[in-house]
Order: sequence, then structure tokens, then C-alpha cells
Amino acid sequence: MAPASTEESIVEIKDLSYRRSSKIIFDSISLSVPKGKITAIMGPSGTGKTTLLQLIGGMLRPDRGQITVTGIDVHQLSRRKLFHMRRRMGMLFQHGALFTDISVFENIAFPLREHTNLPEDMIHDLVLMKLEAVGLRGTENMSPSQLSGGMARRVALARAIALDPDLMMYDEPFTGQDPIAKAVLLKLIKDLWHSLGLTAIIVSHDVHETAEIADYICVLSGGKVIGFGRPEAIMNDDNPAIHQFIHGDVDGVIPFRFPAVGNYVEDLDLC
Amino acid sequence: MLGTVRKIGASSIDFAERIGQSTLFFIRSVLQLPDFRHVFSLLAQQIYNVGVLSLVIILLSGLFIGMVVALQGYHTLVQFAAEQQLGQLIALSVVRELGPVVTALLFAGRAGSSLTAELGLMRATEQISAMQMMAVDPISRVVSPRLWAGIISLPILTILFNLIAIYGGFLVGVKWLGVDGGSFWTNMQGSVNFQVDILNGIIKSAVFAVVITWIAVYQGYYSPPNSAGISMSTTKTVVYSSLMILGLDFVLTALMMGGW
Amino acid sequence: MRSKVVEWVVGLFVIAGLASLVVLAFKVSGFSHYSSSDYYPVVAEFDNIGGLKPRAKVSVSGVVIGRVESIILDPRSYQAKATLLLNKRYRIPLDSEASIFTEGILGSNYISIAPGYDANNLSPGSVIEKTHSAMILENLIGQLVYSFKSDKSDETKTDAVKQ
Repeated sequence: MAPASTEESIVEIKDLSYRRSSKIIFDSISLSVPKGKITAIMGPSGTGKTTLLQLIGGMLRPDRGQITVTGIDVHQLSRRKLFHMRRRMGMLFQHGALFTDISVFENIAFPLREHTNLPEDMIHDLVLMKLEAVGLRGTENMSPSQLSGGMARRVALARAIALDPDLMMYDEPFTGQDPIAKAVLLKLIKDLWHSLGLTAIIVSHDVHETAEIADYICVLSGGKVIGFGRPEAIMNDDNPAIHQFIHGDVDGVIPFRFPAVGNYVEDLDLC
Repeated sequence: MLGTVRKIGASSIDFAERIGQSTLFFIRSVLQLPDFRHVFSLLAQQIYNVGVLSLVIILLSGLFIGMVVALQGYHTLVQFAAEQQLGQLIALSVVRELGPVVTALLFAGRAGSSLTAELGLMRATEQISAMQMMAVDPISRVVSPRLWAGIISLPILTILFNLIAIYGGFLVGVKWLGVDGGSFWTNMQGSVNFQVDILNGIIKSAVFAVVITWIAVYQGYYSPPNSAGISMSTTKTVVYSSLMILGLDFVLTALMMGGW
Repeated sequence: MRSKVVEWVVGLFVIAGLASLVVLAFKVSGFSHYSSSDYYPVVAEFDNIGGLKPRAKVSVSGVVIGRVESIILDPRSYQAKATLLLNKRYRIPLDSEASIFTEGILGSNYISIAPGYDANNLSPGSVIEKTHSAMILENLIGQLVYSFKSDKSDETKTDAVKQ
């Protein structure tokens, strides 16, 4: 089901196939991520949503197919050029992935120090600006272990946008968060998109939160794209797989029962 | 039957693959030093973690081992009225074997397992992936300083161990058991050769340092990203390092006693 | 940007290690720099050096005055040529005798120089003419057996004369 997108796309995935050991994760999928919009990638657990982000970021190589970011094939790049490209991307990992041995300030300053030659006072100002943008100015000297999960993610977000990337990827940002934290993150993602014109890819299985802010939703299941379109279209889609996922039906395309071999009664007798 | 052969074959290929991966990893880590802006502070921090923080266990163990060797040695030598040779016995045992080997084993347990656990945890909490996504090479930033820190620290720790062990032996032998202080030191000086004994001991500890730190950072960096994986990797570091130390000790001793 | 304290401590650690190495070298191994300024070389040739090794001590009347620097086989005379380094403080007469003795019963070999009466002294590079080789156990046993045998044959001779 090839998604039709008439807008300019920043990420183009063509016929991507990837397998891990004997399990097929992606079976020749194609996808376009439109520029300047928020695209959500959803699907049941284990469909490889995080893997997709890793493939886009060049951390994994596909078995077949091509991924281009701003027209450049990610996997044809030399290591140095790949590193250059990654500076244009920001990624927010599921649990923040802050460096635990340095302070909040140092974490956010890290990409600035690595990739720019800015003087210390400028770095100081930039870090504080990013912290203010995520609402955590004042935590600069704390260590990551002192932060709550939600705060750690916000600091990680500040770090991810430190170099003002063109593309932001969010790996399950709402998972395991309380409603307040979820709302905060939603607001931040939306504000960033709005103020910086960031293209965002959000991988999530929080249907309702994501549907609130996404411009497009892509549904993955069984290694294929089973739906792509605007949130209203997806929410009302007839496809049983999409329907089960969106509405949280207990039994459907993905069955409730594990395919056990043998009769239940027989299994009891054998105990 | 065929199944077993196939399993042996598969695990041999797997083993060879892992050796290859770890060799390439080692070469990259040794060569890809962090850039000069950061290299000294990163290296210093790691030498502190790996070397300075191991001082307590190394020095205490050295002291006790020196004292025990003196005690045991005295009771054996005194039967042949040869207790004047005690200094020589302690110095040679420590400098040739106990110093390099025991320090290396303690180092593998304390610093090696800590390196593996730290890198494994960074892997499990996606810090390594985060670094890669921020276009920073984790090998040069995280692995290389730790590798070099281990290679530098262990020989230094061994030298310190040797010194304090001999001092411990002096305390027990001369101060407590009454061996003549003068002959203790003179006999020792007469029989310990700098090149053959001390330098060879340091060469041994340098070899151990490379092997232990290599195993430790490899196991940590390629650890499965979960708690069970980290604990298994840490155990592997200690076990493999210890076996390599003892095996290499034999090989090196044979080479040194024979050839040099 | 790491704490300065950490770097300072690490510096101390490395310095302590190097200092300990120096202490080990001098206190434990008696590593003495035999700088040529303090010692002068002389040569002594032996028929058999036994177990004499380089760095063995050279003493006069039991006092250590130097070390054996090297031992080679003279290709023409097939004698063992030992180069000794003697401390410049000590003047040894030209006609002194160098003998190889053993420390205790099972110990290592060393060279003992018995001073002669010559007015002139050994100078750098001079050769000690009179040498006494190491005592070889097999030769001793052989001599002992030979002397037993000759006692026996003397006895049989006297017995024969008696009869």
C-alpha cells in the first residue's frame, strides 16, 4: 500500500527489507515522510518501529531497499559523511539516554562542544536557552540520576535540539509517562514543530495522544505498511488490522490466544 | 552424532567471528584516540577510575601477601639454617610471579568487571546509540580512553604492589621474626637482577594489562542490552581474564626463563 | 571538563609508580650503574671458568672491589677470557693472581684476587697473568680415584716384595 504524498518529503523509504536472525522485520515497505510535518508511525509492539528509526539514522543497514534523507542515500555514505548527516537529525530515545556520568548542563553542551567551536559563554547561553525551551532552566547542575523519568526525557530533548536539526525522531516518547508528563511532551513536540519548522517522526503506540498532533499516521504491522494517511482517515479505516489497533480490540487480526498446539482438555489431562 | 558435529562447527565459526570482531574492535580502540581537546581529561578521568580507585585493594593485598610469603618462607628456610636468604626468597617470588599475576587477577576482578558493567550499562540505556546519533564516535570517546587507562594503570599498580609486598615481607621477616636486616637487603640485592627479574615482571604485567582491558571493554561494549546480559558479560570478563592471565603467565615465564 | 583534582591525583599516581620503579631498581635489585668513570677494565684468562657468570663479584681479601663484565672464548688460545671491572679506588699490583672460588658449598662462583708484590699496578686494559681456574668436581673425583688406585698398587707391590 504505497502512501501517496504530494508534498515534498524529507525521508523516502523505498522497498525496504530487513530481517533480524530469522525474523522478517520489514518486508519491502515504502514510505514518505513529508517535510515540515509531524508523521506518526504506529503499530503493535514488536513490529520494528524503533528499528525503523535506527535504519533511517544509519545505525542499521537494510538487507534490501533504499532510504534517502533530503535526497541522499543514507547507507551509501562514508562514515564521515554519515556523521555529518546525523548532525541534521536529532533523536530522542525512549528513556532519554542521558550520559549518566556528567551533569545536565554538560549533557546538553555535549553536541555543541563536539561539533562547534563556540566560546564557552555562548555555549552557556545556548544550553540555558534549550533548557528554558523545555521548561527546565535551573536543573543545569543536577546529575541525570537526580531527575525523574519525564524530566530526563525533557533534558534529552533539549540535548537533541541543541544543534537545531532539520529532522527530529521521537522513539516512544509517551510510553510509561503519567498524563501530565505526556501532556508536557505533546506540547513541547508541537511547539518545536511550530517554532522551528522541524519535521518530526514520532514512533509510538499511544494512539490518542499521537493522533492529536500528527499530520499523518503510518500504521505498521507484520512487516508491512497497512495504512498511511491523515489521522481522521486512519481512525475510521475499515481495515480490520488497523481497526483492532486503533480501537484497542482484545481479539482480532492479532489473536488473543497464543497458537498452542493441542487440545486444552488434553493438556489438562496430561498435567 | 551429526548434530553434535554441526554444533561444534557452528560454535567454532561463531568463536572465530567473535575473535575477529574483538580484534578489529581492539585495533580501532587503540588507534582512534579522542581529539586532542579532550584526550587528556578523558584519559585522566579513566586512569583515576581504573587505577587510583584500585589502589586500596592492591596495596592491602600486596602488604598481606608480602607478610605471608615472609612467614611461610621463614618457617621453611629456618629448617636449613638458611633464613638469611629470606629477603631473596620474598623479592624473587614477588617480583617475578606474585606481583604481576596477583595484581592482574585483582585488577580483572575490580577494574575489569567495573569497566564491563559500565560499558554494558551505557549500551543498555542507549547512551552509546545516542552518541552515535549525535555523530560522536563512541569508540574514541568512551572505549579508547578506558582501554589506554587500563594499559597504563596495571603496570603502575604492579610496581606499587611489588614494593609494598617486599616491605610487608621486611616487616614480618626483620621486625618480627628477627632476620638480620643487613643481610636481608644485601642478599636480596645480590640476587635480584633488574633486567631479568624486575623488568620481565613489568613486561608481564603490561601484557596482562592489554589482555584484561581488551576483554573487559569488548565484553562491555558488545554486551546484550539488558540486565541479564550485563551480568553475564561481567562474569565473562572476570573468568576469561583470569584464565588468560594464568595461561599467559606460564607462556611468558617459559619464554623469559628460556630465551632471555 | 574534568575536575582539576582528578588530574592532579592521576599525576601523583603515575609519579608514584615511576618513583617506586626507581626504588625497586636500587633497593631491591642492587642495580648499580657501572659507569665507566668509576671503574677500569682488566682482563684475566682461565682454562676453565666453571660456573662463573657475568656480574659475578670480584673481591680482594673478601672485600668486593668490582664485577665481572663479560666472558668470551678466545678464538686462538681457546681460553676463557673474562673482562673485570675494578673500582678505581683500588690499586692492584701487576703480578696479582686471580682465582675462581665458590661461595660456600653450593653457591655461585666469584673471582678472588690475591695481591702480588710488584711496584707497578694494573692499569685499564692490562692482563692478569697468573690465574687459577675453577675447581671442577669431576676432576677432583678423578684425582681421588687415581690416588686410591695408586695406594692400592703400592700395597700390592709391597705385598709382592714381602713374598
